[in-house]
Amino acid sequence: MSSIGTGYDLSASTYSPDGRIFQIEYANKAVENAGTVIGIRTKDGVILAAQKLLDSKLLVSGTAKRILTADMHIGMASAGLRADGKHLQTRAREECKNYRDNYMSPIPLKHLSDRLGSYLNAYTLYSSVRPFGISTVISSCDKNGPQLYAIEPSGLYWGYQATAIGKGKQLAQTELEKLNFDELSMRQAVFEAARIIHLVHDPTKDKGFELEISWIGKDSQYKHVHVPAQLYDEANELGKTQAESGRMQE
Amino acid sequence: MNMSNNFTSWGRPFTDAKMDMYGGDVTQRYQLGAQQMTVPDDKFSEGVQKTQQPIVTGTSVIGLKFKDGIMLAADNLASYGSLARFKDIQRLYGVGSNTIIGAAGDMSDFQHVQHQLDTLITDEYCHDDGHSLGPAQIYEYMSTLMYHRRSQLNPLWNAFVVGGVDPKSGESTLAYVDLLGTTYSAPTIGTGYASMIAIPLLRRLVEDRQEPLNKEDALDIIKTCMKVLFYRDARSLNKFQVATITKEGSEISQSMSVDTEWGFAEGIRGYGGQTQ
Amino acid sequence: MSFSPYTQNGGTILAIAGKDFCVVAGDTRQSEGFSIQSRYETKVWRLNEKATIAANGFAADCKQLVKRVKWRLETYKHAHNREMPLKSIARMVQTMLYGKRFFPFYSYVIIGGIDDDGTGAVYGFDPVGSYERETCRAAGAAQSLLQPFLDNQIYFRNQQPADPTNPPIPGTLPLDNVLAIVTDSFTGATERHIEVGDALEMYVVTNSNCDLGALQQITQSATKTDLEQVAREEAEFNGPKSCKTFKLLRQLKKD
Repeated sequence: MSSIGTGYDLSASTYSPDGRIFQIEYANKAVENAGTVIGIRTKDGVILAAQKLLDSKLLVSGTAKRILTADMHIGMASAGLRADGKHLQTRAREECKNYRDNYMSPIPLKHLSDRLGSYLNAYTLYSSVRPFGISTVISSCDKNGPQLYAIEPSGLYWGYQATAIGKGKQLAQTELEKLNFDELSMRQAVFEAARIIHLVHDPTKDKGFELEISWIGKDSQYKHVHVPAQLYDEANELGKTQAESGRMQE
Repeated sequence: MNMSNNFTSWGRPFTDAKMDMYGGDVTQRYQLGAQQMTVPDDKFSEGVQKTQQPIVTGTSVIGLKFKDGIMLAADNLASYGSLARFKDIQRLYGVGSNTIIGAAGDMSDFQHVQHQLDTLITDEYCHDDGHSLGPAQIYEYMSTLMYHRRSQLNPLWNAFVVGGVDPKSGESTLAYVDLLGTTYSAPTIGTGYASMIAIPLLRRLVEDRQEPLNKEDALDIIKTCMKVLFYRDARSLNKFQVATITKEGSEISQSMSVDTEWGFAEGIRGYGGQTQ
Repeated sequence: MSFSPYTQNGGTILAIAGKDFCVVAGDTRQSEGFSIQSRYETKVWRLNEKATIAANGFAADCKQLVKRVKWRLETYKHAHNREMPLKSIARMVQTMLYGKRFFPFYSYVIIGGIDDDGTGAVYGFDPVGSYERETCRAAGAAQSLLQPFLDNQIYFRNQQPADPTNPPIPGTLPLDNVLAIVTDSFTGATERHIEVGDALEMYVVTNSNCDLGALQQITQSATKTDLEQVAREEAEFNGPKSCKTFKLLRQLKKD
């Protein structure tokens, strides 16, 4: 970190001489340390999966969810500072409500990502604020078909066939690239997502975690919901065994 | 002779309707509604308008309780005064999966309420905490909303019937809310004309019934009432929808109609209109 | 033609205090004009172990008022770790009613219960908060029918006492007499007033010394749905010596 001590990293409103804004890069560091989140877009719908790292064994399972809902048809999962993620959900909820108030129809995901992108970007322009320490994957499925976007701390956003953010990003992306998205069903994607989340987790090194999976599309009546308990258990168990046997072979 | 256009005062000593036990007019004594006069005037006060009358209106809504839940009905007409302006308007609206409301009165106010309820349901959905709003909660929300607006002297010009079954307890709710914030629940409900024409029928066929009322018989009763309403209510249409809510869920039917018989009209004399 | 924010929903309410109890009653008909809206819509609500409120007039205002009173009692409980005493509830209600002096709650309110020294008490209000403690009060559509009857039966007006040296004292009638008077009042009002009828709810607030014989007799003779102990769980929590509230339901004519 050659930038430390130069003074150019103290404010989001100051460039370094080589044209970088270090506060944004530090925000990205917060993302890289967080539990992995992946999103997969299939032909019938979109799957989100999150690895919720458990800071304490005393936490009640199934609480403090990482995959959140912003509207009937919109799911979101952030990697990074949890509080920033919750705040962005509140903002996303307002944007969705605002769009419905004005246009009497559900917000298309490309509009929401643009609005949230602008919101995050505003926090990179002033010395009085800090950028959001999160990347966020958002999912939707409406008359525009299944859509998947990821927004970065800078405010940049991209549309994806599949994406991963957080700690296990590299390995997860390699795994995602192997999938055949033309053939993949929503159900299969749930299993793939579970497998990959377990795969990027190293039980000897990392903290324990809880897997979360949500979907939206044909199989969920086009509402964003956590997957049914039975499917979740199946995918979680199978994912765990697959990841273990994968590690054995190495 | 005081001929009031307020039918509730017919047949009573002419001031009795408004008088309390001391013979005083309560509305004057306590200056009820005095706020209207005390609102401060500014340059723009003439430009500020509140709803003073409904414009595009729907007529009656009826509802009944049967063995497994609630059945509601409303016709598809939205009138512009005496003009049958829109003949394919849906006046029944699902709120969440266990509640349906039926609306009479101003249709733009109704659309506003639909939107408010949508926002409420979506907000609740986003909490993702395993709770959902049942008919009793929707009823309370609408009562608060309507009473709040009447207290601002800016009412939503509607009468609503709220029907639903709580999916957990199986308890059914059939209730009424109107522009004054007046609320009540009962085994049979009718708004406007239906409170005079359909309620006597509904009370006889539903409340006085000895054996439990099943869905098929309930639908027959609803159809009978809609037919009589169509015969007598000049702002009604023989095209209506029926909503059924049970523990399993809710549905709003396609539009339907009933067979009518107007042959008797030929022989009627003496109600005006004819010259001989 | 401008919007009027008021209507009248008929019905009538009544409360009578005894030495160690108080009866608060109301019919359950709600109407507007000549239409009966509901045959079972309550106008009497239990507030706490020592207080019950009845409100009558414009139903929406009444319900809103009672909702606010209940909310204030709840916050009072959390702030002071005790129930608000009856006389304080009465004073609070006057403040709430007068607070809307220039856009009043069109509500006639009666509060009945047990006061600080254990005797039955009734407080009667007008819609803008004028109030006084009384032995009995009728309000609502049939007030003009019931109040003269109560003046005669409870205050013993226009009666020659059997023993002029020892005239009867208002507020000392036993519970069974009072219940009979309340029932007769409402059957009478039902006969002569079109807005009164359907059913009668009587809340009996008792202090720990009250002889419940009259209620026990009713329990034995009546069907189970006719008598319901409202505060059962609270009474058990507070021990056998605390105040109990009972609710009696009687059918009235429905025509």
